Amino acid sequence: MSNDTLLDIRGLTVSFGAFRAVDGVDLRVANGERLGIVGESGSGKSVTMLALMGLIDAPGRVQADKLEFLGRDLLTVSPRERRTLVGREMAMVFQDALTALNPSYTVGAQIAEVLREHLGLRAAAAQKRVLELLELVEIPDAKRRANAYPHQLSGGMNQRVMIAMAIACNPKLLIADEPTTALDVTIQAQIMELLLRLSREQGMGLVMITHDLAVVAEMTERVAVMYAGQVVEEGAVPALFDAPRHPYTEALLAAIPEHNHGAERLAALPGVVPGAFDRPSGCLLAPRCPYVAERCRNDRPPLAAGVRCFLPRGDQP
Amino acid sequence: MSELLLEAKDLARHYAVSQGLFQPKAQVRALDGVSFALRAGRTLAVVGESGCGKSTLARQLTLVEAPTRGALRIRGQDAARADHAQIAALRRDVQMVFQNPYASLNPRWSIARTLDEPLAINTKLSTAERRERIGALIDKVGLRREHLARYPHMFSGGQRQRIAIARAMILEPGIVVADEPTSALDVSVQAQILNLFMDLQQAFGTGYVFISHNLGVVEHVADEVMVMYLGRAVEVGAKATIFARPLHPYTQALMSATPALRAADRRTRIRIQGELPSPLNPPSGCAFHKRCPLATARCAAEAPTLREVDGRQVACFEV
Amino acid sequence: MKPQVPASPLIESMRAFAANRGALVALVVFALVAVASLLAPWVAPHDPVLQYRDHMLAPPMWMDGGTSRFPLGTDELGRDMLSRLLWGGRISLGIGLASVILSMLPGVLLGLLAAFHQRALAPVIMRVMDVMLALPSLLLAICVITVLGPGLINTVIAIAIGALPGYVRLTRAAAMAEIGRDYVTASRLAGAGTARLMFAAVLPNCMAPLIVNASLSFSSAILSAAGLGFLGLGVQAPTAEWGTMLASARDYMERAGWVVTLPGLAILVSVLVVNLIGDGLRDALDPKLKKAS
Repeated sequence: MSNDTLLDIRGLTVSFGAFRAVDGVDLRVANGERLGIVGESGSGKSVTMLALMGLIDAPGRVQADKLEFLGRDLLTVSPRERRTLVGREMAMVFQDALTALNPSYTVGAQIAEVLREHLGLRAAAAQKRVLELLELVEIPDAKRRANAYPHQLSGGMNQRVMIAMAIACNPKLLIADEPTTALDVTIQAQIMELLLRLSREQGMGLVMITHDLAVVAEMTERVAVMYAGQVVEEGAVPALFDAPRHPYTEALLAAIPEHNHGAERLAALPGVVPGAFDRPSGCLLAPRCPYVAERCRNDRPPLAAGVRCFLPRGDQP
Repeated sequence: MSELLLEAKDLARHYAVSQGLFQPKAQVRALDGVSFALRAGRTLAVVGESGCGKSTLARQLTLVEAPTRGALRIRGQDAARADHAQIAALRRDVQMVFQNPYASLNPRWSIARTLDEPLAINTKLSTAERRERIGALIDKVGLRREHLARYPHMFSGGQRQRIAIARAMILEPGIVVADEPTSALDVSVQAQILNLFMDLQQAFGTGYVFISHNLGVVEHVADEVMVMYLGRAVEVGAKATIFARPLHPYTQALMSATPALRAADRRTRIRIQGELPSPLNPPSGCAFHKRCPLATARCAAEAPTLREVDGRQVACFEV
Repeated sequence: MKPQVPASPLIESMRAFAANRGALVALVVFALVAVASLLAPWVAPHDPVLQYRDHMLAPPMWMDGGTSRFPLGTDELGRDMLSRLLWGGRISLGIGLASVILSMLPGVLLGLLAAFHQRALAPVIMRVMDVMLALPSLLLAICVITVLGPGLINTVIAIAIGALPGYVRLTRAAAMAEIGRDYVTASRLAGAGTARLMFAAVLPNCMAPLIVNASLSFSSAILSAAGLGFLGLGVQAPTAEWGTMLASARDYMERAGWVVTLPGLAILVSVLVVNLIGDGLRDALDPKLKKAS
């Protein structure tokens, strides 16, 4: 196990009864690396990270061959030890800042709480660090803003506060789950820049979960594409987008309006993501795949050379 | 040129907001003078971020509220000063598709009931005729007739939007206001819904006012584009013109801020600092001057009006 | 879509309710009590006001000295307890039902009006309700009875007046939450007038808290009627009513406990059962069920 690996996930499965929200997912993040996880609703991308953070409650069940962070086994770690890891070495930023923050406390108090819990900072030391953090995330007029309540701040500000809370303890890994989806375009750009800067300056690993391929293209070095609970393709950015090998990745790229310059209609995959009750027995994309063959309907393709497909694109003559 | 469906001139909507017991009421200029025209079979995209006034505009166009100032003509008829009966008639001609597919259908009504309501209120068709019309439209939006007996919670977001679109189209209105109709949907579902929008426009000749903050979607669907900032239009023109050569600094900032998949498509980032100003306390002069890289003293003092530059309308002194 | 028989929200709520064992049992018990009371004229062995002078304070049949002629014994005036309980059930349950209907219908209407006319009607309606809420409900009922005089109908009116503000507030709150939602705007755009919006579009989506409140105020009405009867202000003698039965039996608690215990038990069981049904309804109608699949 090299020192360089932050996160090592093998065969992660999260099941709710018979339904597998996440099915045999492998992911690795090296120190300081930026990984993107892309998928649509029902892809299991958020559940994967919640499982990592230990936020899956019964009746959900988390199983994995390996679930290691900084060399520590997250499956067998005690709750106490988990608390030293989660929130401190590994932190998460969520989509809707307004609901993720406690409306009854000032933002300064919430950041201070994180500092107190994980670093034992109190009073003056905590206040100083709170201001430092607010300035680090580029909140103007930090002193006054620290005493504001979440509803008094804009969406972009709240998101910055959440990021401040997440990086308060200088985590080695920051997981961002759709952090900019609810924000305006110009604010999104600012937040993306902030995350990139923090990742580079603090040497922080970043896992960026999003449905927006363009965000992944601009922010990450590697990407994993998820569909219905499985990783269907992974590779380097932008290589994967220039030459996608899995039909789903190809379809996803083709559906983006930007890729259809001038076309009357957008290329759209028919059908919907399989839900809990209509999982195909073969490849999960088979019912919708334009290149489906008999084999695809019967067998589940394994992840081989970064692609989960019997007939990867680009391998054709 | 096709029929002129909608004409807005200097449309404005102000709200009085109470500031406290003894303070005078503050004026929120949610919409502060917007002008545009919409023709049959064409799509006008309204682009802007939070607080730009696009929701207020939607409410004005769908006759939910009367404007504070300005004129709104629907097929030549004055809608701003219409009385109750006239508004009821105009209603049939302007319909809306909402952003959140999970909130725009009545959870207690079957789909058939939801689609029947506009027909029952506005037409004199018999039950059988209504049923036939609903059935035909449900086929057109890509669902099946057996879905009519079901309830909204049984459908996915994309399917609900199809139902919402069917509801908007059932009266065959001339104008449909679509308020971020695909923002809550996945990319592949968005593609299906956008195709549906285009197909229906071809079939019915409807004019769309398409509100969106997603420039990729806007570039695909729009014929004309209107960029809004804090209640005003800052740039209005044909899609191709604006996307090829955006002139207003805000338009440029928006386009450069949109992440692009291919490095070749990325525009040089124009970093604009700060947040949107509060409509309660708008900046003097040009609303954008505090964040604008080209701002001068004049911009702080005077508010620019739309003028013709390079084949489109821009509200800026510096271009 | 779910691959099961498409069910309306109503049927799904009923299924959810049926899954709750406690509530289902309570419903069955309540049905038994209600049916027995309804059929009192045919099921009761004796006339409830007929006094058997030679059998005063006869014990129930499982105790010494009891006979099967009076299965639950007789009261201090020799009236058969079982018959009085059954006939009394008609009164008590009838008061519950009538007061709920009498308070819910105007209460819902006022609540809807307040929600839809925020500036004009709401302040007036809500202030009046606030005044009514300021008085304890029993005191309010006593005031009403004092003005109108005692008796069955006036008892129902008094209880209904006390329950009215609760419905108004609930309906207004629920309706205001729904009015802001897009589907109401969509109905407006379809041309629906205020009446259609209120009753066809919004009201069905507000039913959950209202139904729960109705079941709870049902049990509260039984208690209030019993309380008023106990005070001599409600139903008057010799009509059998559980509360008046309790009142007149006060002095006989030691000698003939059943005269007090049995009507007390009847009240307890009815109230308990209705509350359990109310709890079951609240769980079954929980908005979580209405969320997206």
